[in-house]
Amino acid sequence: MKGEKMKRSVVVLMVIVFAALILFPALLSAADPYPMKPVTVIVPMAAGGSSDLLARTVEKFWIKYAKQPMVVVNKPGGGGVVGTEGVVRSKPDGYTLYLGYGSGHDVVMPSLQKMPYDPLKDLIPISRISIHSVVIVTGANAPFHSIKDVIAWSRKEGKPVTTAVSVKAGAVDIALTAFGKATGIKIVTVPFSGGAESTSALAGGHLMIGGGHPSEIIPHIKAGRFKPLALVLPQRDPTLPNVPTLKEQGIDVAIWGSIKGLAAPAGTPKEIIRTIDGIIKKICSDPEFLKTMANLNQPVLYQGSEEFGKFIRQATDDYAKLIKQLNISID
Amino acid sequence: MELFAGLLNGFSVALTPINLIFAFFGALLGTAVGVLPGLGPAATIALLLPATYAISSPVTAIILMAGIFYGSMYGGSTTSILLNLPGEAASVVTCIDGYKMAQKGRAGAALGIAAIGSFIAGTAGIVGMTLFAPIIAKFALSFGPPEKFSLAVVGLLMAVTLSGANVVKGLIMMALGLLLASIGLDPISGKTRFSFGVIELQSGFDFVTLAMGIFGLGEIFSGLESTVKSEIVTTKVGQVWPTLKDWAASRMAILRGTLLGFFIGVIPGGGAVISSLVSYAVEKKVSKHPEAFGQGAIEGVAGPESANNAASSSSFIPLLTLGIPGNASIAMIFAALLIKGVTPGPFLIQEHPEVFWGVIASMYLGNIMLLILNLPLVGLWVQLLRVPFGIMAPVILLFTAIGSYSIQGQVFDIYSLIGFGLFGYLLRKLHFEPGPLVLAFVLGPLVEGAMRQSLLMSSGSFSIFLTRPIFLSLIGLFLLLAFGQSMVTIRKRFFKKV
Repeated sequence: MKGEKMKRSVVVLMVIVFAALILFPALLSAADPYPMKPVTVIVPMAAGGSSDLLARTVEKFWIKYAKQPMVVVNKPGGGGVVGTEGVVRSKPDGYTLYLGYGSGHDVVMPSLQKMPYDPLKDLIPISRISIHSVVIVTGANAPFHSIKDVIAWSRKEGKPVTTAVSVKAGAVDIALTAFGKATGIKIVTVPFSGGAESTSALAGGHLMIGGGHPSEIIPHIKAGRFKPLALVLPQRDPTLPNVPTLKEQGIDVAIWGSIKGLAAPAGTPKEIIRTIDGIIKKICSDPEFLKTMANLNQPVLYQGSEEFGKFIRQATDDYAKLIKQLNISID
Repeated sequence: MELFAGLLNGFSVALTPINLIFAFFGALLGTAVGVLPGLGPAATIALLLPATYAISSPVTAIILMAGIFYGSMYGGSTTSILLNLPGEAASVVTCIDGYKMAQKGRAGAALGIAAIGSFIAGTAGIVGMTLFAPIIAKFALSFGPPEKFSLAVVGLLMAVTLSGANVVKGLIMMALGLLLASIGLDPISGKTRFSFGVIELQSGFDFVTLAMGIFGLGEIFSGLESTVKSEIVTTKVGQVWPTLKDWAASRMAILRGTLLGFFIGVIPGGGAVISSLVSYAVEKKVSKHPEAFGQGAIEGVAGPESANNAASSSSFIPLLTLGIPGNASIAMIFAALLIKGVTPGPFLIQEHPEVFWGVIASMYLGNIMLLILNLPLVGLWVQLLRVPFGIMAPVILLFTAIGSYSIQGQVFDIYSLIGFGLFGYLLRKLHFEPGPLVLAFVLGPLVEGAMRQSLLMSSGSFSIFLTRPIFLSLIGLFLLLAFGQSMVTIRKRFFKKV
């Protein structure tokens, strides 16, 4: 019967697809203590973004130092809250981890709105891997050559400065808003849905200035489309050694940027945290990993579990103070 | 000459056995993923990403992923035509006349013309990309928030024209779609709207779940009513291949669809969807028998299917020339290249000519493979219509449920799928065309986001829309079309009375 034949072909086709999808990540495996099975790492951001790139790079090197592979799962939504909450609610056995701990929704959002969980209490920091600083840039054809030009222009014309930011209330948005409040000029941040969209709007000359993380911005600087104006971090970023900070230029604004670390749900055994931290530490000193990260324009700034815990508390406090001081709210 | 040498170099890369195998495998997997409801190219590429680390050459990895992406555009039309089940936003329009054709026993012709149109448009898109990539990239950048707003509004209004004769019903559907789209995250402030404390609703309804429910399940539920003969659509399979008459009717539609798809598809975010809509509306407008649209007009399949394939080719342009990914699948390819140490962007062609030209050459080959792969499959797919309803319906139900669950791993999505299915059934009973609703759901966030971004840029002044040449010409063109149409209608009525 023709129908029969057809059905069989459909079944075969589906088997091929599913087998391909399932088998590929599991091609590499072995057994022993902690990682007894593949470790799922949730990235609460869209695929292709800077957090995702970091996770994929760690994933690639993880298997070199661990006995079981790491599997990256993107769970975007709610500015990162949806995916992170999934990790918080998962079994604390070390097989579901969260990469991106220290992003805007962990350290900034709690000061702005009610959270369904406590980012400091419901997650255990494992290790810090990178910090994505915030760079202020302008289009290559814009009349600004320095951050002072921007301020002078706005004061003279009495007009607001339109600014492209990747998302509302993220590190970039807060940094630019803080810059405006500190200098007394009117900064209008225009949020987009992600860094790719905001950079393309700025590259098209539709806004005056913009902010972003070095990994999104540097390729455009190299291509001559953007001019860097200032870095909004307490010190210079190793990926952009020639860009001065706002503080160096006499403007008293500094934020922590978007911190990228690994975390586990509260209740995960200490030994497992230590084992994972050990693996990450090895990855962070692997020359090949450093090379790949340099290529991605993401600085490797490793910190161990305890130090990272202190750092993230400090960052959360600093953001809370800044937000209060500048009277920022989302509406 | 430089171009020719580059392309030659590209073919020497793409024609190595390993790259040929991966291009074929990507095209095959893409076709399968496009046919299976719920599984999309972005999810497939994401799952396959770790496997690409094992592939040493970046060209081979991107050839595989690109194959999955454009392969899925070929496969996407299959379920739209056969089962009224759109797998992605760009093939919603195909359901309207494609499914009607299948009901009339012309599924083979619809599938055939979709494959041929896809091939022509896909290939023409790559030729355009080979010749004009840098110029087109600039064109894409010139679309800021105000321009995107106008394009999305035009898309919305075009969606209403899908509703057939009753424009009021189309507008009601559009409004409902916009309301559904507002559930979830506010695109500008980042606050959650209308989620009523349901965590799963924080990121809104998923498009694939909504489309599969309203179209596919709605069709099945209304099929349950007819207890007469157990058949899902019809046992009439009819002639498998498009006739010469079909070809004559589709020729210009394919050409127009290709051009529209190539230009509109290059704009990041929603380009492919809007191009398929615009193509459908244009075909209806230029047709000598517009009343046949919605009743199984082959141009209504040929145009939009060509448009979305041309768009899938041209959406590589911003990635390869500017380093800006325009949609989720392209973003995954972007990530894979970066991890491989290749930075897509203006220097790609100098730093890694083998990647740039290799991918382009493999796309020429991939499109030929897809045509060879898909044409014989047409005969096979058509046999699907012989499967009795009693078997087909539960299978579709199962696959759509798996599909919607797999997107976010949430059981909630299966419930919403069934809910949308019941809603789709209701719409059928009340003779509402679901197309405008589903498309408004996709375009809603684009319209809202772009309009609010524009107003932020202008400190709340609407004058920003009046000072942008692209915006004005787009809206002007649309008003001219609308005015012309209403004049024709008025004249017809007037003469009828006289």
